[in-house]
Amino acid sequence: MSIEGLEDPLRFSKKAPPCAVVIYGANGDLTKRKLMPALYRLAFEGRLAPGFAVVGVSRTAMSNEEFRERMRESVKKFLEDSPFDEQLWVSFAQGLTYVAGDVGEPESYGVLAKHLEAVAAERQTEGNVLFYLSTQPSQYAQIAEGLGSAGLNHAPAGTSDAWRRIVIEKPFGHDLVSAGVLNSRLQAVFKERDIYRIDHYLGKETVQNIMAFRFGNGIFEPLWNRTYVDHVQITAAESIGVEGRGAYYQEAGALRDMIQNHLLQVLATVAMEPASSFTSDAVRDERAKLLRAIRIMRPDQVADNAVAGQYGPGRAGSEQVPGFRQEKGVDPRASTDTYAAVTFLVDNWRWSGVPFYIRTGKALPKRVTEIAIQFRTAPLAMFRKATAGAETIPNVLILRIQPEEGISLRFASKRPGSGMQIRPVSMDFNYGSSFGERSPSAYETLLLDAITGDATLYTRQDMVDASWTAVQPILDYWATQKFDFPNYAAGTWGPAASDEMLRRWGHEWRRP
Amino acid sequence: MACEIIKPDRILKELGELWVDTAKPEAGAGDEGLLRACSMTLVSFVDDEEDSMALGETLALLMREHPSRSIVVRFREGEDFLESRVLAQCWKPFGHRQQICCEQVELTATMNHLQDVASIVGPLAVPDLPRLILLRSARIVRAGALRKILPLGDKIIVDSSRAGAPGFGELGALLDSGHIAGDLAWTRITELRALVAHLLGETVPKAITIEYAGREAGPETRYLEAWLAGGLPQTLVRLQGSGGDGSGVPAVIRIDDTTVIRPGAGCAEVEIGQMKQHASLGAGKDDELLNAELKIVVHDPVFERALNRITA
Repeated sequence: MSIEGLEDPLRFSKKAPPCAVVIYGANGDLTKRKLMPALYRLAFEGRLAPGFAVVGVSRTAMSNEEFRERMRESVKKFLEDSPFDEQLWVSFAQGLTYVAGDVGEPESYGVLAKHLEAVAAERQTEGNVLFYLSTQPSQYAQIAEGLGSAGLNHAPAGTSDAWRRIVIEKPFGHDLVSAGVLNSRLQAVFKERDIYRIDHYLGKETVQNIMAFRFGNGIFEPLWNRTYVDHVQITAAESIGVEGRGAYYQEAGALRDMIQNHLLQVLATVAMEPASSFTSDAVRDERAKLLRAIRIMRPDQVADNAVAGQYGPGRAGSEQVPGFRQEKGVDPRASTDTYAAVTFLVDNWRWSGVPFYIRTGKALPKRVTEIAIQFRTAPLAMFRKATAGAETIPNVLILRIQPEEGISLRFASKRPGSGMQIRPVSMDFNYGSSFGERSPSAYETLLLDAITGDATLYTRQDMVDASWTAVQPILDYWATQKFDFPNYAAGTWGPAASDEMLRRWGHEWRRP
Repeated sequence: MACEIIKPDRILKELGELWVDTAKPEAGAGDEGLLRACSMTLVSFVDDEEDSMALGETLALLMREHPSRSIVVRFREGEDFLESRVLAQCWKPFGHRQQICCEQVELTATMNHLQDVASIVGPLAVPDLPRLILLRSARIVRAGALRKILPLGDKIIVDSSRAGAPGFGELGALLDSGHIAGDLAWTRITELRALVAHLLGETVPKAITIEYAGREAGPETRYLEAWLAGGLPQTLVRLQGSGGDGSGVPAVIRIDDTTVIRPGAGCAEVEIGQMKQHASLGAGKDDELLNAELKIVVHDPVFERALNRITA
């Protein structure tokens, strides 16, 4: 908050109020690779309050100095697109402290409470605390309850304006039931408005740009419905295999790891109704409404509308790569889906009858995330004679999320020369060449949002429930099946059944 | 010797030919070809060769964030000279194979051709995209010729800290005539203003003292004072010069128990009671300032309020 007369929304960037960020799992990979570099970068940009503090918590015994040194090395190593300023680090590091504690020991929360009191007095954090759980998901509820038992879930007496928030990473449960149980335990300690479920996909600039594209322009929204849109394809392809995450991944699989959370959120962003305002609840209400409108498959519909795949040995370029079952840490008989493709239907006025195809997989030919909106063809194929009977070329609008962020529109154009020969051409907007400025990382955006109390890009419990509800029938059905894995070679675009799934609708996958 | 006749159509044709040539593999475009990028027209007016070179470096850096059709008009001494040339500026973003290129038109003219320059530059602007004017030429100001170039731009950017640049009076007149204007002296204190607003939070202080180096407060200090006095009507905002030869920029800001010290342009030391913190304020280089200013092509009410307060 600031004095109204001094506000300058055209020029001032969002800044964090005084607070302490407590990171559980402070010695973990996410803290080193993402969280600490993001916080440092926020400091570099002057977004943090002078007394900003970070309290690291993990089991390892460590002094403040050791913790600072480890974080310094991590920031230097993983800071992207930014210089490391030694002088700024010295100042930033003054706010870093460390508390060793086992999340299973109740007394560790009392120790943390005392430590936070001292930090608040020294750094003037005004009693504001953001708890970031960068731990195993199985510890989320236990930590939340521990914080509650030590009275850390609410501000101390006499600091009525102070806030306490908790951030958790996906997965939010491993199915609908466990998600509900986790939620009940979290909500017994923290209010829903103080629980921030992070989905780093929503923090990506290009995902946020979908909303700017749809609702900041007048020309697209009138076409954004079943009258003009034939179908939508959402692709999130990884060219690499599981590479060291085999043990984790074989428990999760592509459907749980990507579709249930990230890609259904992307679908919701593409298909949601315009919110009445760009405020946290208004936007999330619309996303949740869309997710609830996804048609729930009956068990007998799953085989036709969902395809599981697992990669076998193959070639990535000139390199021979192992199959999933040959990866380190993976059970040689694992029936994990490293590829999943699903046809979703949205039962609402706008999208009735329009299929939304989502596919994601490991060891595919290239790394690409994109949304392709294919429009219906022109009603009359006027140029059929000149094009030797070829069908009219449909327009496709492609929203490219990564790696070459941008927007392309495919349309038909006359070839130069006599006759009326038509061929598709592409009109491209490249994010990087129009805006050369550095985009903040998803974690910078999301951390700052959590600290400033903006939950627009965070997932609410009703959204988590709705997305689990949408995929649960598929999980249940797959659990009863014996798959003939592997069913696609590494370096190819997935199993043939996935192409067949679209062929039934008269469609085919794009080759991005 | 009479100078050659230059028409916008000829320059546009040269630009077209330039892209055909630049895109050829033998010109270094490579297999990926190149991307012609343009998000605005930026017209820069400069005076001397030295400033023109410095501006060239600034524009080259600026192109990466604001790819534009850049038109540089250089005024020189003499009686009758008018010349043009076109060139492309290309770079390859890190990790990318495709080059990104912007186009540049350079016009060199004597002041008697100012009218010609206006009629050449107008049609060269890219349709439907913002047109911005960077005015570094003191000659235009001295000649009172601002009104001739104003219709060319949606926004006029000056730097009132530069010698010979338009001052508060000219800027005020621009605003009065409905133009959008920007001043890099104001842009230079954005980070400092943001820091002060952040430090204050919701607390309205009784008094704020701005200490500056030198005998006379420079444009940055005057802007800072005007912004604070306008935003905090119940606060006493004082200016205090150190005397001697200083540039007049704000050096220390005292707010109750908080002190902001600026040892240099790019940083600040914040002292709150016993706690000391280092804050980065950006280096304030020309390309950074212009980068910030080019992002704003609408009326900036906060800037305009501060300027009006100074000129009132």
